[in-house]
Amino acid sequence: MNEKVVAMLLAGGQGSRLKSLTYDIAKPAIPYGGKYRIIDFPLSNCTNSGISTVGVLTQYQPHALHRYIGLGTPWDLDRHKGGVTMLPPYAEIDGIKWYAGTASAIYQNINFLTSCEPDYVVILSGDHIYKMDYEKLVEYHKEKQADVTVSVLEVPWEEASRFGIVNTDEDMNIVEFDEKPEKPKSNLASMGVYVFDWEKLERYLEEDNSIEESTHDFGKDILPKMLADQQKMVAYPFKGYWKDVGTVDSLWEANMDLLDPSAGLVLHDPAWRIYSSNPQLPPQVITETGRVQGSMVNEGCVISGTVSHSVIFQNVLVEQGAVVEDSVVMSGTKIGRGAHLNRVIVPPDITVPENYRLLDPVEGITLLTQDLIDSWKESGQQ
Amino acid sequence: MTLMAAVDASVKVAGLQDLTIHRSVSSIPFAGRYRLIDFALSNIVNADINSVGIFASPPFASLIDHIGVGKSWDLDRRKEGLFFLPTTHQNGGIATVGSFHDFEEHIQFFEKSRQTHVVVTSSFVVGQLDYKEMLAHHLASGKDITEAVGAGGSLKSYILSRRLMLELIRSHREKRILSVEDLVNLKKAPYSYGVYEYKGYFAIIDSIQQYFKESLGLLDENNRRLLFLPQAPIYTKVKDEPPTRYLDGSNVSNSMMANGSTILGNVKNSIISRAVTIGINANLDSCIIMQKCTIEENCELAYVIADKDVYIEKGVKLIGTADRPFVLRKGERVTKEDFQ
Repeated sequence: MNEKVVAMLLAGGQGSRLKSLTYDIAKPAIPYGGKYRIIDFPLSNCTNSGISTVGVLTQYQPHALHRYIGLGTPWDLDRHKGGVTMLPPYAEIDGIKWYAGTASAIYQNINFLTSCEPDYVVILSGDHIYKMDYEKLVEYHKEKQADVTVSVLEVPWEEASRFGIVNTDEDMNIVEFDEKPEKPKSNLASMGVYVFDWEKLERYLEEDNSIEESTHDFGKDILPKMLADQQKMVAYPFKGYWKDVGTVDSLWEANMDLLDPSAGLVLHDPAWRIYSSNPQLPPQVITETGRVQGSMVNEGCVISGTVSHSVIFQNVLVEQGAVVEDSVVMSGTKIGRGAHLNRVIVPPDITVPENYRLLDPVEGITLLTQDLIDSWKESGQQ
Repeated sequence: MTLMAAVDASVKVAGLQDLTIHRSVSSIPFAGRYRLIDFALSNIVNADINSVGIFASPPFASLIDHIGVGKSWDLDRRKEGLFFLPTTHQNGGIATVGSFHDFEEHIQFFEKSRQTHVVVTSSFVVGQLDYKEMLAHHLASGKDITEAVGAGGSLKSYILSRRLMLELIRSHREKRILSVEDLVNLKKAPYSYGVYEYKGYFAIIDSIQQYFKESLGLLDENNRRLLFLPQAPIYTKVKDEPPTRYLDGSNVSNSMMANGSTILGNVKNSIISRAVTIGINANLDSCIIMQKCTIEENCELAYVIADKDVYIEKGVKLIGTADRPFVLRKGERVTKEDFQ
């Protein structure tokens, strides 16, 4: 890419439906896939797409994210020119400006963008799991001579009403946005990934900021306004795995997808590595009594029990006689002897006591908490 | 009193030839995800030593690739940090640790340092030597040179003052001493020699038999607990491999597994390195498989060491013994026809 592309990664989301997992970290910092955090995916996509200037916009519980990303070294984003810049809300002479919406978050960092002198700005969301070549997206944007390009994904028709649906003509020109339509006219859902010509983006952000009744959101305000002004707006059809992990169930599903080759997300891909901050841990050990089937296990684990169809993060101990099935066990956890977990997400650093049982939950997936364990202990079930 | 470190990565170890055709002893893979030098380097940085010279002789491409600027060991510093100090001599590297000839070539490393004492260490001893404790012991003993000793044998680590080091480098020819190890073995006058007793886990990797035995020795939980201390991590170059996948039908027991591998077959009593693929119905017992190897389906391997990038085609049967493990050299491709 000869022209300069800058990525702005929206990472301020709370993800309140993920309950205790996001009490003290933002949604993009949620652990995923045995060793990653969700934000590793868009960050690695940037690196693999040759985008080396990335702004990360944080707001909700930013500390874990700031510390995690640091100088951006794991993603090769510790650069003299560009690199990663963390962009939390800041105070100005006329007060502190929180990010009210996705567009206002970008608007308030217009000085940062100006200093980057971009030709194109790619807007990304920090809470989606997918592998995407943004270079191809920008090339498409240029080819189509668009003012803005919206990346879209075909979703099953029956689920289309849960998404922001994009209606296009036969040349992929966007003619209409339908936010969560009752009767969708298309099944192309917006992924929240946009490419803008910088001049257009700057102009529309300034304009939007002056409109008091605006919610300052790309999907609700900026794009409809640009459409009304007959700016050239095209849809880029993305093909491949894409998942928004908004709930405990969908986080579990996204992890289980890694165990199912037909789900389409391959992490063992030297051509498109997902980079992550790597703790220095010894290899995993499966002991004499350990048995692991259809699972992924990370470094530092010692497995002496039975693990089946599960994703096991670093530094997990599964003691002899413990059984972990269809579950996600996050780092630093100990599963005591005789414990039995089925369809559970175990958050980091929890000790599951001996003989603790959490089986066949009535509905959905159980997010284990210390409270659940404490009340089990109090009830004297052991 | 402060320490600097000189790591001898050029020492020649005759018994490891099959594994050192393309690399020095210091960069032989060990314990699934490490290179031998990681242990010495980690011991050094865990003792807060941040002036570290690595004395290397060819072939050292693999060592340079591994060490880089020392980032993984936090040795990429403005002040001091890591110095890669290769010998310019064609046949660099001798059979004992701490060659004064090599040190002399880079005498500035010692001259310019602000530290008072020097640790000289090999790169083929695996352990958790505490150089802070060893320095305290050295100072209290009043001896000129202290040697680390475990279970009665030398651990090839030495502490001496920087002043004495410089004196020895400048006078080694007339004194007819080759190396620090040589000097300590000969106990030449007028110097005094002390011993620091190390009680923890250690492994000396100076032959294929030792390599094999000590590698599989890590399957003993006690050894692992003594080597992998949470407060003194072993650092290595980071590789960004995903977690290892165990597919349905695989069966792994009593084995150490690095990340990035895909296991469909049966593995027991083995060490499997990064990004290895083990096919359906392959049976591995007491094997050491290094990174990026592929073992196709229906292979039968016991007491085999497969170096990096070895490809074993389906149905191959290779059975070594604990004393004479079957060694496949780096990049070898093995078919059924090769061993009939």
